[in-house]
Amino acid sequence: MKDTLRWAYALNQWNIRMDVFVRHEDQRRALKTCSALGFHHVELAAGTGRWDNLGRPEVIELNHGGPAGFLDFLHGCSVHGVSSMYWDPGQPAEEEGWAFRSTRNRDDHAAIVESAKPFADFLAAIGTEQLVVRPAGSAWLQPPLGADDVKTIGEVWNAVGKVAAAAGVGVALHYDCLSAVHSADEVGQLLAATDPALVGFALDTAELTIGGIDPVAFYAGHADRVTHVHLKDTRYADTGEEYRMPGAETTMLRGGAGRRIERWFFELGTEGGLVDVKAFVATLREHDYPGWVVVESDHGGNPAELAMLNSWYLQHELGVAKS
Amino acid sequence: MTRAADERRIKWSYMDHWRSNGPAGPIDQWHSHRSMSSFLKQIKAVGFDAMDTFDFRLWQMYGDYGGPAKYQEMVQDHGLERIVNIFHAADYDVRNYAPHLPETHENILEDFRVTMGHWSSIELDNIIVMPATLYYDMEPITEDKLKITAELWNKVGEITAGYGVRLTCHHEFFCGIQSEPDIETFYSYTDPEYVSLFVDTAQHCIASVDPVALYRRHAHRVSGFHFKDTRNIATGDDHRHRPDSEIMAPTTGKWFYEMGTPNGLVDFTAMMTAVRDNEYQGWITVEHDKANRYGGDYAESTAVARWHAVNVLEKIYR
Repeated sequence: MKDTLRWAYALNQWNIRMDVFVRHEDQRRALKTCSALGFHHVELAAGTGRWDNLGRPEVIELNHGGPAGFLDFLHGCSVHGVSSMYWDPGQPAEEEGWAFRSTRNRDDHAAIVESAKPFADFLAAIGTEQLVVRPAGSAWLQPPLGADDVKTIGEVWNAVGKVAAAAGVGVALHYDCLSAVHSADEVGQLLAATDPALVGFALDTAELTIGGIDPVAFYAGHADRVTHVHLKDTRYADTGEEYRMPGAETTMLRGGAGRRIERWFFELGTEGGLVDVKAFVATLREHDYPGWVVVESDHGGNPAELAMLNSWYLQHELGVAKS
Repeated sequence: MTRAADERRIKWSYMDHWRSNGPAGPIDQWHSHRSMSSFLKQIKAVGFDAMDTFDFRLWQMYGDYGGPAKYQEMVQDHGLERIVNIFHAADYDVRNYAPHLPETHENILEDFRVTMGHWSSIELDNIIVMPATLYYDMEPITEDKLKITAELWNKVGEITAGYGVRLTCHHEFFCGIQSEPDIETFYSYTDPEYVSLFVDTAQHCIASVDPVALYRRHAHRVSGFHFKDTRNIATGDDHRHRPDSEIMAPTTGKWFYEMGTPNGLVDFTAMMTAVRDNEYQGWITVEHDKANRYGGDYAESTAVARWHAVNVLEKIYR
């Protein structure tokens, strides 16, 4: 099917702890797997430390001699480039003194903008279009959003968006099901608080569904703001506000408490999937969505197996020709 | 007549070794319809055109799917063309099934009369056999034994030809016919019309036989390939261990790797060049049995092998 959609694959599922996805040959195998399945662009995820050698610009450059060397590394695996990179400024990094920063704290804003600069510059140098960011921390770690908080969060992303735009890179706010910016109304407020020329929205189909927001309807209502997509499925919605449980990253998403669900994210076409993937992609096509669609497995199982099943779904259920 | 630019002379099949982890632990794809569907989706997604399998799967095909034709319908429902080759994995018990022992021949011939009837509901290219018993059951390898063995396979080939299927020989490094001189003697006694050669790149390499040179010498009677790699050559008595040196050889616990593995001993560029030079047309089967050993992963090995086929081999010949 001929359309505007551009497909990429997220590498985060291969990187399950600091020392398992470090050796270049292991990374080549993942890249070749993506390439053989028709995904010629990949999404990186920010990290910290010398082992996370695809996670920070300066570490990537140390490993590959610079942006051109890194692109050579990708091209050697028939991967053409990097669609996007995910970055959470609230995730402490060794390189920044393990500082805890919050986008709802204006005192942290200058440091967050400064942290974003190397990412924006590096992504621009390798021809990457989107810096995908976590706009706010987990809900359980902070008091409920007050009237001014969304405006404050919007301010820092406008500032990051300005820095990134100057480098030629877009910024997309990624919704996740644990976020303090949680409801459709709160997401709408955040989008209203940001400049559409500088800040877009990264729509994650599974995360929205878990959070109780229909991704098809949400996209139809905000198509002009959606500049990035993560496509994956889930079998569960967070019907009991488990995202508010202390330690929701493990108590909810790893099944430590609540309903004890150990796996939330699934491949496209999974039995019992709650995301209407076909309707969602049809809506993207109706709107001539111009951004990247990044297929993501997100620690759902065997990385290569899930990439293969996702590719099969694209080719046989969504009419995507394998390039 | 000129060939259309997009017409392929090579199609790719996948030999169906596979392991994965199900909710109840490690499984192979024959565990359930769901795991079979997942397997077929994966090999189709990565670009294989068809699959090969073993004939010991016959009863599962009947029990779980209604027979070979019905199972093949499932294969085709997942976008694959068909089952191309069947590997006839006999036990080679010297009491009743030893190609170098004439007194067992009638039993073997009857086995193939029955076997070919079993598979007659689907179109096959080859039935693949290991042409000799285990090395330890045949040694010393003599010209007489090779001649007796060849005579058997000539007769078997006549039976399979009656069903439109080629009988083709696959020389495991631990079978009785694995050295270069013994392979040459064996083929000198076989009829090219009834006995073909199936080149397994890794098995020959392990037995210190250059698979490229072997193929070039016998290209006219080669009816298929297993493209897989190895990092080790058998030494000492590696080829003499019960029940099977692929598992029990003292020097090496994992013999096989996917195409494109670092430090692989098979020169696939030379192999594909030879395939091109001989204008081979047909199927090449990709295999990497026991890929899951020592932390390996079938899905990833399959994707990496397919990457090598597309990005290296198809640039030489397709």
